[in-house]
Amino acid sequence: MFTPAFFTTALLYLGYILIFPGFLFCFVIGLLLCGIDRKAVARMQKRVGPPILQPFYDFFKLCGKETIVPAAASRTTFMLAPLVGLAALVVIQLFIPVFNFRVFRNLPEVADMIVILYLLLIPAVSVMLGGAATGSPYAGIGLSREMVTVLAVELPLVMVLLSVAKAVGNELGTGLVFSLSGVVDYQAAHGSLIGHISMIPAALAMLLIIPGETGNHPFDAAEAETEICEGLLAEYSGAPLGIYKLSHAVKMLTLTSLFVALFLGGIGTGVEHLVAAVGLTGAVAGAVSLILQVLILVLLCIVLTLVTISFVHAVTARLKIEQLFKYYWTVVTGLALISLVLAWYGF
Amino acid sequence: MSMLSYQHFPIYAIMLYFLGAFLIVLFGKNKIARHCLALLSVTGSLALLVSLVPRVMTGGEIITYWMGNRAYSGGYAIGIALEVDALSLFFALLVAVAVFVSGVYSIRYMEHDDNIPQYYTLFLMLAGGVMGLVLSGDLFNMFIMVEILTFAAVALTAFRNTARGALEAAFKYLVVGSIGSTCILAGTIMLYAQVHTLNFAQLSGLIPGHIHGATRVAFALLFVGFSTKAFLVPFHPLAADAHGAAPASVSVLISGVLTKSGIYGIIRLVYFLFQTMNLRPIQFMLVFVGSVSMFVCVTMALAQHDFKRLLAFHSISQIGYVLTAVGLSTALGISAGLYHAMNHTIFKGLLFLAAGAVLHETGTTDLDRLGGLSKRMPHTTVLFLIGAASISGIPPFNGFASKWLIYQAAYLRAVETGNIGYLLVTIIALVTSTLTLASFVKVSQSVFFGQLPDEFKDVKEVPFGMRLAMSLFAILCVLTGLLPDLVTKVLTGPAAQAVLNPVRYIAAARGIEVPAETAALPQAAGAWSPINWLLLLGISLFAITLVALLGKYDRVSENASAETLPAKYDLFFSGEKSVYSQVGGGDLFWGFKYNWRHYFSFMHDLHSGIVNDYALWAVVALALAIAFLQIVL
Repeated sequence: MFTPAFFTTALLYLGYILIFPGFLFCFVIGLLLCGIDRKAVARMQKRVGPPILQPFYDFFKLCGKETIVPAAASRTTFMLAPLVGLAALVVIQLFIPVFNFRVFRNLPEVADMIVILYLLLIPAVSVMLGGAATGSPYAGIGLSREMVTVLAVELPLVMVLLSVAKAVGNELGTGLVFSLSGVVDYQAAHGSLIGHISMIPAALAMLLIIPGETGNHPFDAAEAETEICEGLLAEYSGAPLGIYKLSHAVKMLTLTSLFVALFLGGIGTGVEHLVAAVGLTGAVAGAVSLILQVLILVLLCIVLTLVTISFVHAVTARLKIEQLFKYYWTVVTGLALISLVLAWYGF
Repeated sequence: MSMLSYQHFPIYAIMLYFLGAFLIVLFGKNKIARHCLALLSVTGSLALLVSLVPRVMTGGEIITYWMGNRAYSGGYAIGIALEVDALSLFFALLVAVAVFVSGVYSIRYMEHDDNIPQYYTLFLMLAGGVMGLVLSGDLFNMFIMVEILTFAAVALTAFRNTARGALEAAFKYLVVGSIGSTCILAGTIMLYAQVHTLNFAQLSGLIPGHIHGATRVAFALLFVGFSTKAFLVPFHPLAADAHGAAPASVSVLISGVLTKSGIYGIIRLVYFLFQTMNLRPIQFMLVFVGSVSMFVCVTMALAQHDFKRLLAFHSISQIGYVLTAVGLSTALGISAGLYHAMNHTIFKGLLFLAAGAVLHETGTTDLDRLGGLSKRMPHTTVLFLIGAASISGIPPFNGFASKWLIYQAAYLRAVETGNIGYLLVTIIALVTSTLTLASFVKVSQSVFFGQLPDEFKDVKEVPFGMRLAMSLFAILCVLTGLLPDLVTKVLTGPAAQAVLNPVRYIAAARGIEVPAETAALPQAAGAWSPINWLLLLGISLFAITLVALLGKYDRVSENASAETLPAKYDLFFSGEKSVYSQVGGGDLFWGFKYNWRHYFSFMHDLHSGIVNDYALWAVVALALAIAFLQIVL
């Protein structure tokens, strides 16, 4: 078992987990997205705004600060929850294909779309448990709102995923495709799903789901720093708070790259054709095309962040929690439902 | 046949329970004798059944056992028979495991009660009743066992009869439970009148070709009868009352075992006795009742203020998943449903035991009064969280593994039939899972986290015996979640194939062996490998923790006692007094409930708590079932 080939593979997967598309990639790009978002919102509001790298500074500053565990908190849960949430997010990132690049291309797939849907709950649950463990009343209210937000977003997200599964299944004649890499494979061969009429409402719904899942303005009733002192994070300080801020940033990357995988997955093939047209072959072509695909993914994530998070943030005021719930279960669910029905009848 | 040959094992497994019950009546005054007898009978039964797994599950053998050496005579099967195929053994194993763990838990949990010998007697009678029901080979004995288990369950519900509501709950259960039992008896009589036999296998051979008015009524009666045992909607209010009043160890049996006997009865009814699952109306009936139970009970649970009543409603909601999956009538659906039935026994057992632990230490299960117990009962908290994650379908625990199969099965069925109703069912199943999560977040917040009220400052962790029992369930939660392929191969796959092959069951009673069809095990459409995921999570968590520790993440050293800590270790109340700031458990999800206020007020008015109403519901349900089956079958 312990042959050189085994160690090479192990090292490769360790690299995937720690560097790309795992931890380091999530860290850098996530915080970058966060910085761009803050800058863009500031510019839209005619403020100067912080430097793009401000989230990095914030993170490292928080890591240097003292961590205060409230006397009433259960310490293990309080300290462990942020780490589990972040680790779970990083693992999800491994399951989201970067166009034609897959971490698990030689192995059976680990998790399909439905599993990813539920894996996305783990970070939310861990932040809820961490907050609840402090016993703070602000955390109690934050937990209530966070859970209602999760409930609100879950229904449309489920329907978006089901309609994508059905649409791809229709095209391939297999009935259903639950595998995310299957969805991207289809798009690589037949063009992005956004080109299908039936998928346009789902894509719109997904755009509206992104700020709700990440808990960004105007869907940030759960954090609402002006009224409930960031709710679940009220008692957090120092490095654990830094980890939560990082998780929030990574979540922006996860959700936007999920959107890209679901609806814009066909771009990778275009890049490969382009690289081939330039005349590159072999390993060089592979490397160049991978780098180009990653760059395009990052670019798309930035654009999506600007559209779904920054722009929406700048032009809206925070919704109350019952308004938020109603909005998701009517408007966004309605959009997803249109897609689902269209996909169902084969458009 | 020697006394020790394996054909005797099923009857021994039943007898051990009843023998234990009777011996405890005689010798139960002595504490040691009582515990020895109880443990011997629960352990012995479990061991006997486990030893049958290789033969019946993987080997595909069907054990037929005639009491008093009788058999078919003159074409009719007269006499008492046991017939154990993979389906029976699957449910029998669930019973044995739940009874075993609950028995271990009872020793410490019940030690402060009066009349403990009577408790064990009833406990083992209930266990024996369910065990007899799932192993029985004839319909009349199923009814006898239903009677035994119903009356044992009623008596156990009222066991702590000084507790508020215990007698009322028992009375309600008695009334509606008797209606259910009567339905089963009436259905049995009508079938006997038509075909002059009670042997299950023979009935299954005779009825499918001869369905007419009377057998349709019998079908409806049996369906409603078994539905009351599973507490499906509209019989769900009984479960809430019964679980709220019964000791936790009994709740484990009522929820984990008794409801399964109802599901077992329904499966035998639709797949064997009438073999009507190829008909769309019958599929509709099962899936409809299942989905309604799933959704109505999860919303009812969200509105509860009591830990055990909340668990009771979740119990029915999960049974709804099982029935829905079974009603899909595909191999994947049945296998997923049985998998979920098993997981439900495990995680709901764990949750009820955790609730019992809270009750044992604090004396209450009121969510509005409890809080902050995680610092006082850390082990119970961890075990509860495992159970809560399982029932909420959080990967990688067992609830997710089976629910994931159910989603797949429902959506595949939707695509296969082109029926948009199944699509709706898929969405309901997916959303119900998140609602379940919401409900358990509420429990975590209002029992184990949040603020610790002054009255519970001196609460201690429960004794080791109780934690051991909970740990057993918790380990099973993790194992069955991480090894879905093994579970499908050894347990649910063979049981699902038994369900789809009634011919083998019918032939086996006559001693004819039909070779097992070597159909492939049901395959899911998606991909989920929990072990690999856990490996990835472990590595990332390890890496992150390592980095965090190197960065002095845990630099929080204050050894001073709580009184002398500086003010910065207090919670932030922004000037409010802390006593006014706690959010009550019942109102936690206001944003959700506000949008559903009309629905909740409707449900609130509907559940009057008056037994007359619930009895009326039962009669209406029966009338609807008869009318529906007369029209469609």
